[in-house]
Parts: sequence; structure tokens; C-alpha cells
Amino acid sequence: MKIIQQITIITPFLLVLSAIIILFFLPSKRRMSARVSVIATLFTFFLSLGMLGYYVVAGHSQVVYIGIHWGSIWLDPLSLIMWVFVSGISVLVHMYSVRYMVEEPNYTRFFALLDLMTAIILFMVSAADLVTLLVAWFFVGVVLYFLLGHDTNRPAAGRYAFWTQITYRAGDLPLWFAAFVLIKTYHSISLPVIFAQIRINPHLHTFWGLSIPELVAFLLAFAAFARSAQFLLHGWLPYTMDGPTPVSALMHAGIVNAGGFLFNRFAPVFEYAGGALHMAFIVGLVTAIIGSAMMLIQNDVKRSLGYSTMGQMGFMVMECGVGAFPLAIFHLIAHGFFKGSMFLGAGNVIGEARAHDGVPPDSIYTAIVERRPAKPSRLPWLAAAALTILVPAAVLSLSHFFVSSGLLYEQGVVILLFFGWVTGAQALFATHKMTHTNPWRLMGGILGSFVLIVIGYTLISHYFSSFLYPHDVSQKLYAAASINAFAFDTLVIFLAFLFVGGWALTFFADSSGWWDRVDKGGWRGAYLSMYALLSRELYVNDLYARLTQLLLVFSHRLNILLRWC
Amino acid sequence: MDILVWIMAGTLLPWFPLSWIFNKLLASAPGFWAQALAILVFPQLGLLLLIYSGAWQALPVGLDSNLRGVALFTAVFYAFRAASTREVQVWARLMTTSGLALTWLLHGQNLDPLTLQSFALAWSIPGALMLVWAGLLEQRMGGAYLGLRGGLTTVLPRLSALITLTALAASATPIFPTFFILLHVVKALPLAWIPGGLLVLLLWGWAVGRFLQDLLFGIYRGELLEDLTVGGTWLGGLVLGLFAVGGIFWGGAWIMN
Repeated sequence: MKIIQQITIITPFLLVLSAIIILFFLPSKRRMSARVSVIATLFTFFLSLGMLGYYVVAGHSQVVYIGIHWGSIWLDPLSLIMWVFVSGISVLVHMYSVRYMVEEPNYTRFFALLDLMTAIILFMVSAADLVTLLVAWFFVGVVLYFLLGHDTNRPAAGRYAFWTQITYRAGDLPLWFAAFVLIKTYHSISLPVIFAQIRINPHLHTFWGLSIPELVAFLLAFAAFARSAQFLLHGWLPYTMDGPTPVSALMHAGIVNAGGFLFNRFAPVFEYAGGALHMAFIVGLVTAIIGSAMMLIQNDVKRSLGYSTMGQMGFMVMECGVGAFPLAIFHLIAHGFFKGSMFLGAGNVIGEARAHDGVPPDSIYTAIVERRPAKPSRLPWLAAAALTILVPAAVLSLSHFFVSSGLLYEQGVVILLFFGWVTGAQALFATHKMTHTNPWRLMGGILGSFVLIVIGYTLISHYFSSFLYPHDVSQKLYAAASINAFAFDTLVIFLAFLFVGGWALTFFADSSGWWDRVDKGGWRGAYLSMYALLSRELYVNDLYARLTQLLLVFSHRLNILLRWC
Repeated sequence: MDILVWIMAGTLLPWFPLSWIFNKLLASAPGFWAQALAILVFPQLGLLLLIYSGAWQALPVGLDSNLRGVALFTAVFYAFRAASTREVQVWARLMTTSGLALTWLLHGQNLDPLTLQSFALAWSIPGALMLVWAGLLEQRMGGAYLGLRGGLTTVLPRLSALITLTALAASATPIFPTFFILLHVVKALPLAWIPGGLLVLLLWGWAVGRFLQDLLFGIYRGELLEDLTVGGTWLGGLVLGLFAVGGIFWGGAWIMN
């Protein structure tokens, strides 16, 4: 038992040690510092894997104390999965950076900061007390500032690092407030102790007309929104691309997921806070839609990936909003590895595009990316419509029914299935529009892939949920996120008609061209206005910039009035 | 007599509007060493005066809401003003004033005089260090004004590293003691007042963000400058390192008591 505690402490501190060694003893030894950094990260990754393996065998959580008053690590499934995920991503980023950053100045400092950042994230995801969580949460923003601003010759790097820092700081405030509400109410900084007290009597204390779990849940949700770039707090995310590519990868694959982690860490609080979950659902939905729309109009690969991350984060928060907390963790891991590989490959894509500027004459590319008018499909439209609408619904429902039939009665699962249905149907609809020598074979291939993905995802997410929340927490979270049955059914039916109607409109407009005959130019104007609005990023950043400018002018005038004293 | 004690204490341990005199006194000290010494000593004198005159003990426990409001306003007001400041000396004074004003909010926490003085000292140390770095910067550049010639990190890497770390210490960044003191101050506030306390944190984040942006980023276009010596850098680093280590060990001792 004692050796496990020692390994627990060593795991994150190993990277702190490597950062100190690089900064103080190897500042001019570039190759050696990179080697030390990569080896330390690899060790951390293997130690994390070992700890996860130990938990699977031993099967119980424990808290390891580093300091007397604060500084503790919670070895529970959530911490251990996050440790493996974060250190895994960090290993990839480290190895990639060894060559990618070789011509950059401050090479050794870069590796020291990467090590420090990984260590802090490990502390953050495993903090068992509120002070450790606050320290690590705060420190992530500070170290990220220096990583994003690595190239000090570029004022833009500094500007966007500052945007990130100030958004993070704004997000720190609700977390601080939530922490102090909990500390003052339950007279403890220990998370397990606080959660145990909340379970005993969740609505014992109230403040500002809300029960303490409800108030804390709202505050935590706001903190998560800032970290995970939800709408109105998203302006910094697409501009983090001005940092080095490995930092973008670490940022989009790991750091930005902190919101999803925060929801899961405080799941015992959200069990009693349906209102906060509903808010999270709406904010996540809006973010997912706006992020995806922004992504579509970008002509810069990296910024497009940035908005794609925003959309994915919206979806992740939405999952939390419907009570599917473990799914959010599964999502952030899958998205992390996917987006990490995309970023690390972005440089190659850009290089390739520079070498070969011709757009590949591929039919799929032409249909999806260039959006040239699709030729009439060879599939009969009735068959295509049936496949598009019915097949995803059947596949999704059956797979969930066989894995865990009880879940089908949860509103959160229905909502997620609904989105799965929309996404699947959209993919099939796009396939239907493609021209191919054998459309049935193409559709068959896509359907086969879809079935495999759904079954795999359902199985993995189900067993993942059981691992992460072995007790009945998942059901409680779904119950907390539920709304009135009549309102829910009305909403689902309305949305189903909306989507099907949208597809039908697009289908007929594309195939017969009647829309062009009906439209007298008004639609084009609206379309262009919408495009201009989106291309200016809804003027959110401009608004903040103007507001900041006004405040600075006011501050400056005060200083002049008081003669700088 | 009482009024005189309050005026002197409010001046030395800054409290708006007497904080204006505190800043004026600091600014009028001859040379940066004298300014650094003054920023360390004045708040200590203010606290000693309060404690040994019995005025501190005479205050209502936890301060009444008006007094608390004035202390919090002082912290917010000076942090807000620091955001638009580009002169390093002025920035250091305003940020330190903002931090020191929070010491008033620790009334009623049953802290012994030594701990209370240590808290005030923890806000003064980054301020004093920053005034020294500003003086050294002024000696090299003719003025410690940021934003005119950016990219100082390329021409003065050692001095700008120390300035950066000191700015972080002044703005309550973990693991410096100021961070833990801020935790303690926020804990001392009634729940409804906590958002006000946290506003200070946001403004410090804004002020330090702008400060570092002007200090670190951009291409330096000017004559070559002589950086701080290696010995001087190690000495400055040692002071900041000890300050940070103190934050970890000392901060933990009282954070939840």
C-alpha cells in the first residue's frame, strides 16, 4: 500500500523535477533537455498506466496526502483515466516537438514548460481538496500563457496569449466562489468529505434562494464554460493557433477539455442541480451549432480546427447537460486523440498544399468540400429517404436496447440518440448526393461503417460508464437532467419534424432547382449577411475589444486625475 | 488623538483616500532603493501603530460593512488603475496598494500580530522587488516605461525574467504567498461579499496580462543594453524562490485554520 502512495506522489512530481532540471541545469543543452523531458513524460505515462491497472485489480479509490493542510491526490477512476489520457497526449506532443521545435529559440524552456504544464494538469485532475484544485486550475492558465506566447517576437502571439489568460481568469472566479461556498458551508476542503455531506442532506443549506448544491453547480458550470470555450467565452480558442503547433495540439486535445472534467469531478453536486444541467445543455447546444457553423466558413486549416474544437466542446457540455457525464469523458478522450493527431498533421497538410496547389479532382472532395451542384443520384429518392431517416433510428435504438435496455427510458439517452440519428442521417444524406458508379455499394459501405461505429461506441461507452461510476450515479444524473415528460415529448417531435423538413427542403431544392425559380434575390441577401456575420465571428471579439478600450480610457483618466498616486 | 492614529494608520497601511498620500510619499522617496525600503516599512509601521495603540482591537469584529467596503474599494480601485499603467514604478505602487488594502479585511481572524505583519510583508516584497527592477531598468533605458520598445526579453533576458516573476508574485499567482493570502482574505469575507473580493483577482489578471504583453512581446528596436549580471540574477531569483517556497510551506500552515 505504501509503495502505491509513493508512486502516486512521484508520478506528477517527476515532471516538476524534469522541468526544474532543464531550467536550472540544462538551459543551454538542447538535445539533452529534450531527451530528459521525453523520458520523464514516458515514465509518467507508464506509471499512470500502472496505477490504472492497479485500480482495476484492487478496485478501490483512495486519497494520498502530500502536505499536512492541503495537497492531496484522489486515486479514483476519473483521476486515473485522466492521468493516462493526459500523459499519453503529452508523450505524443513531446515526441513531436523534439524535431518540430528544433529551430525555434528557447527550445529548452519550451520543454520545461511542457513538463510543468503536464504536471499541473495531472495535479488538477486528481486533486482531492479544493485548495489543490484551485492552485492547479489557476496555474494552468499561467503556464499556458507562456506556452502560447513562446515566440516573443510576434506581438500577435502575446495578444492572443493574453486573451486566453484573461478568459481563463474570468472563469477562475466562479470556481473560487463555488469553492468558498462549499468550504464555508461544510467546513472542510476535502472533496470526498464535502460530497459525503451533500449526499446525507443536499438541501440543508440555502443561499440567495438556492440550495447550496444548486448554487455551486451553476458556478461550476460557468467555470467550465470559460475553460471549454462555450459561446461568449470562446473568442480566445481559435486564436490559440498563433502559438506553436505542439501547444495547439496539447491545448485542443487536453487543456480545453477541463470543462468536461470539472462536471465529472463534481458529479455528486450536479446530482441535485437539474437547473444547472439544463443551462449547460442550452449553452452546449448553442456552442455546438455556432462552432460548427464558424468551422464551415474558415479558409485557414488551423483556425477551422479551432472552431471544430469549439463545436466539439459544445457537444461535450451538452452531453453533461443531459446527464451523460461518463460519455463526456469518453468524448473528450476520443476527441483529444483525434484532434491531437489532426493538429500534429496540420503542418504536413499545409506543406503538402504548398507543394501541390491543385485541388485533387476527387468526386467526394468535389461534392462535399467544393459543394458543386450534385448530379442526380442514381438511388431512387424513396429508398434514399427511407434509408436516411429510418436506418439510423433503428440502428441506434437496437444497439442501446441490447446493451442496456433500461437506459432507453432516460431522457438524456433519448436526446443523445436523437443527435446520433441526426448525424447519421446527415452522413447518409450526403452519401446519397454523391455520384458513384455503384450507389448501392457506396451506401452499403457507409451503412456498414455506421452500424459498426454505433455498436462499438455504445458498447464502449456503456462499459466505460460502469467503470467510471460503478454505483447508481449515472441514473441519478440522468434523473437530475430530466424535464417534464410532456414538454420533452413535444420538443423531440418538434425537432424531428424540423430536421426532416429541412432535409426534404434541401433535397427538393437541390434536385429540381425550384428554389432558384421561387427566390427573387432576397434569400441571397440574407445568406450573404449571415456569411458576413459569421466571418466576423458574430462581432463577439470586437465587442469585448471595444469594452476593454473604454475601460482602459476610464482607468487612464482616473490615473491622470489622481496624478498617478 | 484617535483620529490622528487612524489617519496615520490609513496612510501607512493604505486605505482610500489616504492611500493617495501613501503613494505620494513612496513616489517622493529619493532613488529606487529608498522607495523599495519605504514600501516594506510603511505598512509595518501602520500595523504596529494600529496594534499597539489598541485601535485594531477596537474595531468591530470582521469590520462593519462600511469599513469593509472602503477596504475592498481601495483594492479594486487601485487594481483597476494598474491596468492602464505602463510605467513600472507606478504599476508596482498601485498593485502593492491594492494588495495591502486587503490586510484590513483580515480583522477578526484571530491572527497574532506577527502573522498579520507577515501578511502585509508578503504584499510589500513583490512591490519592493519590482521597484528595484524598475530602477535598474531606468538606469539602462533612461526610463522604466513599457510598451514603447517591446521585446525586452531579447535584449534584457535576465532582468525581464525577474520582472516577469515579480509581476506574477504581485498578482497573487500560485505558489507565491500572495495567492494563499488572497485565499485567506476571501475566506474571511461574508459569502455575499466574495464576488467583490474576486473582482480584485480579475483586475490583477488584467493588469498583469497587459504588463507582460508590453514587457515581453514585440521586436526590440533600440541600442544594445547591458543585462543584469549573473550574480544579480541569481540573487534576485533566490529571493523570489525563497518567497515562493515560503508560500507553499507557510501558506499551508494557516490556510484552513
